[in-house]
Amino acid sequence: MTEQMPDDVLRVENIAKRFGPVTALRDVNLHLRKGEVLGLLGDNGAGKSTLIKILSGFQKQDSGEMFVHGQPYAPRSVDAARASGIETVYQDLALIDELSVYHNLFLRREKVHRPLPFLANREMKRQAREALDEIGINIPRIDVAVARLSGGQRQAIAVARTANSDADILLLDEPLAAMGAKEGSMILDLVARLKQEGRVSIIMILHNYVHVLQACDRVSMIQDGAIALDKPTAETSVEELTEIVVNEYRRARQQNAAQH
Amino acid sequence: MLSLREGSIIVVTLLVAVYFSLNTSSFLTSANFKTLLPYFAPFAIMASGVVFVMILGEIDLSIGATYLFAPFLFYKLAHAGLPLVPAVIVALIACMAVGLVNGFFTAVVGISSFVATLGMLFALEGFTLIISHGEPVETPGAQVTTSTHNVVHVINGVHVTLPTTVNHISTFARIFGAGVYSELIWALLVVAILQTVLTFTRWGLYTVAVGSNKLGAAEAGVRVRLVMMRNFVLCASTAGLVGILEAVRASSVQPDPAGANEILFEAIAAAVIGGTLMTGGSGTVVGALIGALFLGILHDGLILQGVNANYLLFYLGLAIILAMTVNVYVQRVRRGAGHD
Ligand SMILES: Nc1ncnc2c1ncn2[C@@H]1O[C@H](COP(=O)(O)OP(=O)(O)O)[C@@H](O)[C@H]1O
Ligand SMILES: [Mg+2]
Repeated sequence: MTEQMPDDVLRVENIAKRFGPVTALRDVNLHLRKGEVLGLLGDNGAGKSTLIKILSGFQKQDSGEMFVHGQPYAPRSVDAARASGIETVYQDLALIDELSVYHNLFLRREKVHRPLPFLANREMKRQAREALDEIGINIPRIDVAVARLSGGQRQAIAVARTANSDADILLLDEPLAAMGAKEGSMILDLVARLKQEGRVSIIMILHNYVHVLQACDRVSMIQDGAIALDKPTAETSVEELTEIVVNEYRRARQQNAAQH
Repeated sequence: MLSLREGSIIVVTLLVAVYFSLNTSSFLTSANFKTLLPYFAPFAIMASGVVFVMILGEIDLSIGATYLFAPFLFYKLAHAGLPLVPAVIVALIACMAVGLVNGFFTAVVGISSFVATLGMLFALEGFTLIISHGEPVETPGAQVTTSTHNVVHVINGVHVTLPTTVNHISTFARIFGAGVYSELIWALLVVAILQTVLTFTRWGLYTVAVGSNKLGAAEAGVRVRLVMMRNFVLCASTAGLVGILEAVRASSVQPDPAGANEILFEAIAAAVIGGTLMTGGSGTVVGALIGALFLGILHDGLILQGVNANYLLFYLGLAIILAMTVNVYVQRVRRGAGHD
């Protein structure tokens, strides 16, 4: 059981989730402190994205409870999660290829005129331009469809979408996956900047342990459907993280061999 | 606002119009313009609704059935004592319910829209045959009455009083399809409103979002089911509206499923010719209007050229394929020239 901390913005208790025969999450306990960047690690298929989708209101857990700012949190939709101050970058980015960069940036948070709710496109373009310039990502035209952009640019837009909101909990599912070194460090810089401002708390899924140690305050590792490690990054190293994963791999292989 | 796709179909439509102007003496006359209207205005309205469903990547095969069902329900309601305009409104609400059922089975139950609306096509046409007993009916409020007045004429400076017959069409009928420009005005109104909705509102934005990336839209919080059902409702109501307009224009209506299904295909053809993708994510209402205009001009022009009725469909089919080929070519040329 996670110890109760007064400055936990998010707490997850005994979350389980199955997909038919597959147990994605068995018993996950997790907490996120105010202003913290938590690195979430785990093998492919460990259930990281599933946990993110449960937190984002997109999927519902089979059992277990969640708390935001100490209040029970059971979002019935992505909109409801957003209303609780949670924004998400999904692993698949959730970008709409046929829509422009700025419409993607404001998807579901569109600015509209009053009283007739026509899209305030000019206003959205202006703000989108500002938000992207602030990140420093190079996207020359924001009125082109995102289908035309590179993988890194698309990912930057997905990240900018959350950073540009007024959410105070950001969930970033592999935000660096499609990025080159330069774009990747821009995003990590952005995360560092957000952290410095102290307004948001972030759960970030990463695969590169160097990035994890550089960008996160704490790491949690999911193994076998539960959190197997939870440590401040200051107290761990690339070697330790690697060892845990390799040991787990060996253990799983031996178990497999024993079964056959 | 106009995309590449409908830009090129405008060119193709103009080419066809020029061809018929040069090859027939009567194409460019105001009388022919009036003849042309019923060949395209109803399809423009229906195709506008179809566009909203097709951008989702879905299809509505039941619009012909809805088109047929609406005037018969309108007839029943009017005969049950409902005034004309309320009867139209209630009939259209029933069409919306048909759309809601289509949307429910597609978006909530998860049947493919092709199958769900195919089922609806048969069921609703069957239902229309049942309630109409397979008999044609006279459209309420659309009957032409004649009266005889004595009118004073001046002939060679002499005042002569002669009895003259005058045809009366009710204001209701004039508005709902029987007026010469009634359907054209409806078409322009519907196209203007729906194109505005598509381009300038969240409704349109979410329609494109769902059609382009359903999972992504849902992850971003778009209420995919609501968006889908809403568009099926819209599509069914445009079909019902056209059904009533056409019944009023003709002043009677036949329970003819075959004819209704032909209307279905022309409406879908208008949308596709106008640049709406069968695969979803992209399309415009203005394009559907132009697609309908193209089909109308082709139909009308071929008749003016004296094409034998047996050859008409054959030529129409060839012309559609030819036009879409030219369309693709024009797009390529424009893309090559531009910085697209
Ligand atoms: N919608 C789904 N339906 C069925 N199985 C799923 C679904 N989503 C995830 N899974 C399964 O759950 C497990 C965890 O997946 P995921 O959370 O995506 O892992 P990770 O993000 O850690 O790579 C995998 O075995 C995956 O196949
Ligand atoms: Mg994942």
